[in-house]
Amino acid sequence: MNPRIPATLNPADLLTRVNRDVERSILRARNGIRYVRGSHRPALGMTPKEVVWKRDKAELWRYSGGDRRYGPPVVIVHSLVSRSYILDLRPGNSTVEYLTKAGLDVFMLDWGVPDELDADNDLERYVGWYLPRALDAARRVSGHEEVTLAGYCLGGVLAALYAAGHNDANVRNLILMATPVDYSEMGAMVALLREGRLEPDQLIDDTGNVPADALYSGFYMLAPTVEVAQKATLLENLWNDEFVEGFQAMATWSRDHVPFPGAAFRQLVDLLVRQNILMTGSMPLGGRQVDLGAVRGNVLNAMAERDNVVPPPAVEPVMQLVGDPARREELRLPGGHVTFGTGRSAFKHTMPKLTGWIIDHSDKPS
Amino acid sequence: MPANQPLWLRAVIRLERAIGEPIESAVRSDQYFDLVSTTTRLRRKVTGTAEGVSRRCLHLLNLPAGSDIRNLRHQLARMERRLNQLSHEVAELDEDGSGPDER
Repeated sequence: MNPRIPATLNPADLLTRVNRDVERSILRARNGIRYVRGSHRPALGMTPKEVVWKRDKAELWRYSGGDRRYGPPVVIVHSLVSRSYILDLRPGNSTVEYLTKAGLDVFMLDWGVPDELDADNDLERYVGWYLPRALDAARRVSGHEEVTLAGYCLGGVLAALYAAGHNDANVRNLILMATPVDYSEMGAMVALLREGRLEPDQLIDDTGNVPADALYSGFYMLAPTVEVAQKATLLENLWNDEFVEGFQAMATWSRDHVPFPGAAFRQLVDLLVRQNILMTGSMPLGGRQVDLGAVRGNVLNAMAERDNVVPPPAVEPVMQLVGDPARREELRLPGGHVTFGTGRSAFKHTMPKLTGWIIDHSDKPS
Repeated sequence: MPANQPLWLRAVIRLERAIGEPIESAVRSDQYFDLVSTTTRLRRKVTGTAEGVSRRCLHLLNLPAGSDIRNLRHQLARMERRLNQLSHEVAELDEDGSGPDER
């Protein structure tokens, strides 16, 4: 028997269902018109914040809204390929908001939208110039000598290289979220570059950067038809304001990539992708060798089990390479690449587990 | 798949997977990789040839071509980068006498 059809249907139940369906149809029509018109777009990245440091396009934001009971401050280093508001998508569905409300002092290092002026930015520039200055500002503003450094995706690579390459880094905790180290496991998009079928300069445009469109196309081709199922699910849930808002927020973010600075891209393809150099445990940067094992603090390697952008096999070797073996921990989360920022699974698993780990490794409120 | 999904939605999702999985396999195949690299090279070659022809025509008339403007923009960007770098260095010297070590 179909479980959706009750054995008996009395007139009162029938009336209730008809009423519900009529109401939903009206809401569907209203939300459908709003969706097509593009009005009522959700506000993104709304956790209150102030800019505490700025150099070129890079900005360090400090979030407010909590009572900052725990130290050291948590500095999130975002990736170079996407917008940082994925970690602060919507009120009530935001990792940043969750951490802030738990009593942590949260900062975000946002790289902005690169243009011609940033085309010469290489990895040394990010790891050896912007990061030390931004972290100095975070230390100064928060009054703590140490930091909890959390890198998301490629931001994790930058964070790990910084923590490993600076004796004065003072990183008590290093959290690597979906941070790829084994680029031979990175899937089809990277394989084109790895195998030399595509040269970095073929993707770099007149501005000297990889255009955002090229990055979007690469991600889109991972699952080109999945949008059909997503749109059908939207149609079914179009009556639900909360669902529509969440859908629009995610759709906005997933199309909102930023150009990738050309110099950093060439270096990434040569060293990380083609030589897979992080798997050797060290990497030349700024004229010297950075040894990933030199990271001094606690290391949390967090990965999403259904991540098809940075699959778990690309992340797992962190447990053999970064920091002191006795101070490494692994966190496996259900969900995909964006589970670090948004979604039901993020709220149920990622946010509480990450927050709990950070608090366990922070100073307790006096 | 959630049990409370209507039949039509389940059908759409199944259909999408039935079509999507082979497409996803195809875009991970060597043939697709070859196609992408050939298309990219061809596009750049065609663009480069067209640019070369239009540049020669414009230069004949003593007019600047797109590539001249591009080079000018690159030079300006390099100069602005250098200026930014210098102003950061000056600002850091003003703040505390010396910035963080250059590594």
